[in-house]
Amino acid sequence: MLRNRPNEDKFDQMLGRALRRHLEQVPADFTERMLRRIEEAEKREVLARVVLQERLALAGSIILGAAAIVVVVFFPGRVTAVFGSIAESFTQQGSALIGGIPQAMEVVRGQWQFYTVVGAVFGFAVYSLVDLLLGDRLPIA
Amino acid sequence: MVDNVWEQQQKDNWLRLLRSGDHEAFAEFIDKYKETVFLCCRRLGLRGDQIEDVASETFLAAYNGLSRYSGRAELSTWLWSIAYRQGINYLRKNRGQRQLEAEPDEQIAGSKERGPAATAQDKETEEIVWEAVGRLPRLWAMAVILHYREQKSIADIAKIMQAKENTVKTYLFRARARLKEILAAAFGEDIDAEK
Repeated sequence: MLRNRPNEDKFDQMLGRALRRHLEQVPADFTERMLRRIEEAEKREVLARVVLQERLALAGSIILGAAAIVVVVFFPGRVTAVFGSIAESFTQQGSALIGGIPQAMEVVRGQWQFYTVVGAVFGFAVYSLVDLLLGDRLPIA
Repeated sequence: MVDNVWEQQQKDNWLRLLRSGDHEAFAEFIDKYKETVFLCCRRLGLRGDQIEDVASETFLAAYNGLSRYSGRAELSTWLWSIAYRQGINYLRKNRGQRQLEAEPDEQIAGSKERGPAATAQDKETEEIVWEAVGRLPRLWAMAVILHYREQKSIADIAKIMQAKENTVKTYLFRARARLKEILAAAFGEDIDAEK
């Protein structure tokens, strides 16, 4: 180990020998306590992730419910129009059904900000519901 | 040659286990390096519970950081740098930074425990040398321990202490001169010739 130290003299060698002989005192059960601490930290981390997931799921469900109420109370005409448009698209026969899709697309394109927000809320709500129902079976890492 | 390959494979396997968070491998890691980490903490001027707290934080940081350990530096160098950083941060938080630059307020004696092969004269020399190191400013003492005890290169010491290589060389040069003075007085003889 000292091969790269050509300039070392007897003093350096004596210093190195004396310092290397020293054994530092460490509590006997330090390793066990350290491992216990790591296990506890890991458990806390898993628990924190589960709690966060549950909180997100709960928030999503509340937001979905609140959003549905707000939309129905404050924009009844728009809700009727959207559902009417969708229902109309689905009830038309054959080519009329296919022809209805661009019509629905036009409706969405005209008010894309509103539908973006609705889409985001809906996506979050779906995630929350899936997490509520299947959360314990989904990977948490 | 075969032995070297086998040893390397063993080392690689152990590192893989460490990176994957295997507790048994990490227990081995703690056993191997706990003395080093405690030594680093003690020589930075920490005492009693502070040493154990900072050592625990060091191993926790190592456990969490092992997956990112690239293997470019030696594992011991990597751990020394974590221990040093944790110790310095602890001292900064507790307004101990100035102590690092200054002379230690009390002598940091070496442990009374020694290797079995040490003769009476060796023990006396060891004790005197550790006492002399304990009288150095702590950054100088740290550089001396890393260089002479841990046999780290100047580049590695600079990485661990987050300092320039020239600064480390200055610490070592001054520390060596101071140690020579102290030890010459203690031994009462020409230490270059006799020890």
